[in-house]
Amino acid sequence: MRELVARYLSRSISRRSFMKGLAGAGLSATAAQSVLDSLVPAVQAQEAARVAPEAVKVIEGTGALCFAEQLIATGVKYVFGNSASEDAQFYEALVDRPQLKYILTPHEGPGAAMAAGYVKASGEPTIVMQAAVVGLVNAMGQMFNAFKEQTPLVFYSYRTDQTGRAGRDGFEEVANQEGIVAPLTKYSWLARRADMIPETVRRAFKAAWTPPYGPTYASWHSDLNDERVRTEVILREKFDPRMRVRPNPAEVGRAAKLLVEARMPLMIVGDEVYGAKAVAKAVKLAELLGMPVTQARQIFASFPETHPLWVGALPVGRIASLDYPKDPDVVINVGNKLQHNSPTPMVGRGPKFIDMRIDSWSMGNVMSTEVPLVADVGYGLDDLTAAVEQLLNASLKEKAASRANEVRKFSERAKVLRALVTKSPDWDRAPMIADRVTWEVALFADPDAIIVHVAGSVNLHGFNFDPERGRELFYYYGAHLGSGVGTAAGVKLARANRQVICLVGDGSFVFGPTALWNMARLELPVITVVYNNHAYSGPHSRVIEKVPGGRMVQTGHFFHDYLGSPDMNMAWIAKGFGVEGEVVESPAQLKAALARARKATMEGKPYLIDAQVARMGVAWADKPWFPRK
Amino acid sequence: MAQQKPKPPGFPDAPGKETLVGKCFQCHGPGMWMDHRQDRKGWEGTLYRMVGRGALWSEEDIKAMADYLAAAYGRKQ
Repeated sequence: MRELVARYLSRSISRRSFMKGLAGAGLSATAAQSVLDSLVPAVQAQEAARVAPEAVKVIEGTGALCFAEQLIATGVKYVFGNSASEDAQFYEALVDRPQLKYILTPHEGPGAAMAAGYVKASGEPTIVMQAAVVGLVNAMGQMFNAFKEQTPLVFYSYRTDQTGRAGRDGFEEVANQEGIVAPLTKYSWLARRADMIPETVRRAFKAAWTPPYGPTYASWHSDLNDERVRTEVILREKFDPRMRVRPNPAEVGRAAKLLVEARMPLMIVGDEVYGAKAVAKAVKLAELLGMPVTQARQIFASFPETHPLWVGALPVGRIASLDYPKDPDVVINVGNKLQHNSPTPMVGRGPKFIDMRIDSWSMGNVMSTEVPLVADVGYGLDDLTAAVEQLLNASLKEKAASRANEVRKFSERAKVLRALVTKSPDWDRAPMIADRVTWEVALFADPDAIIVHVAGSVNLHGFNFDPERGRELFYYYGAHLGSGVGTAAGVKLARANRQVICLVGDGSFVFGPTALWNMARLELPVITVVYNNHAYSGPHSRVIEKVPGGRMVQTGHFFHDYLGSPDMNMAWIAKGFGVEGEVVESPAQLKAALARARKATMEGKPYLIDAQVARMGVAWADKPWFPRK
Repeated sequence: MAQQKPKPPGFPDAPGKETLVGKCFQCHGPGMWMDHRQDRKGWEGTLYRMVGRGALWSEEDIKAMADYLAAAYGRKQ
């Protein structure tokens, strides 16, 4: 039998002769077919090695070693993981593979946030590893964020139950483990054999990194990590479809006609613009048409905020809330998911709506869409700009120039009005108002700083984001809290030469501070500023809006919002993780602390500022009531 | 369009009301400040916090709204 297999693999006999030989050896037709199937990977590996030895490598070793090799072939440099004893053979493989760096994260949630921050800032693939289902569920909060934000992040965890004892409700066993993540992933799969581990990993990366991006999950029984196999590992360039789609030319022509004939067009930009590195293309189209530009909530700033055609972000989630323009007749969305938080469509039924996105699934669901442009927005903007240029005559150019002048007047006026924030009667108070903290950080930040913003109740101003030439924004979109510190650590890992500042509320901070330890250990000099008002101020305001005049307001008994008594000291928490920090109360103290933070980061050390912020708003008492036992 | 705006129950007619309704109801219903009582400086601080959240108001607008709110929703005696 062994000789028969060897002859088949060496191509000395045909498949038919091999099957005949198996039958002659007494195997039933079913058993013979099973033997043949089991040889398929080996045959493929041989074939691949013969055809393209540089792209396909046949390796022998444990399943976990093959896993590590496939990660390397995929271009993964960093693995973010938490200790998992059934991954022993993977750790063993790492010893002789220094090109694959393992970053131990003390909690899977911030660890996954760090990985996601790295992916978003570098554009390079990585993987998050957890221990079985018990670690996976800790990471799933950030999996949710990656799903909402469309971040191509691959997750892996083994099933503790081995193939020989699965189904007995054993230690760390849960039925259908890979199914748990199904609603939050583009792809989740269980490798059935050890030699299929690399293939499963390839599929996970391929699915994650094919637009529209999103998280994926790969899993297998833990004993497959230990099993010795011979299988193939394939370079990423040989399995990545590199999908970049040009828009339908007929639809491009329709969109161009609508835009040039519009009385007042409006452009909404979103993350796909930043992701496609197409900010300059969006600027070009806007300038060609004298078209005002806005942005609904997303992760990145995708248009330069100092540009005269920038009219500000949507105050609330619909274009009707813009101060200007009040009555656009054509609206084009370029790469924004347009997250709806109310029954009212963000773009009403009045204006004609052009939707340019790669994510066709989310098009036409809420808005009535005049022109769908399914495309990589880089190509889409190229084609649309070319089509608009062809249609523009002297008269239309004059109209566009006149409109641009009108928009410029508004944006200059808006700039003056936004600066009025400093006229607040509370501007110099201590503890500070959040706007003062923001203002001081904006004055302090480097011209090309990256701001990781996870302070949900704080609106940023004064940063003048300019994603391709100046400051960049990494906002949180998914809203599973606890991602800020981890995201900032991952961003700094990817962009070592850029100043990274993490702005985070106290409520969000305490969900996930463990990545401070990673900052200290890896010498990632991030400046973290905690807006610490010892409260969940967003939920405080929102419950009052839902129950105006209710018993909570009458009695001052709010059960859900006050985090003081005792007050949490974030600087002490930071010190516990090896990061220097301090508490500041006044603007003068904040300025001095920021200077110390700069000094620390220039020495390669992270720094944390716990900025004491006043609780402002309806029904806050100096000493709020809180429930006791 | 004007008739579709939320009706502001309990808002007394007085100078500044039109500015308040026109500006604040872009984003808010009336529920929030119906429950709030504070002096003029407090209201002024609240309005400037809205500037920090993106409201584009002139100093004259803010003064008119702060005067109105202090009169209509000042501290309870």
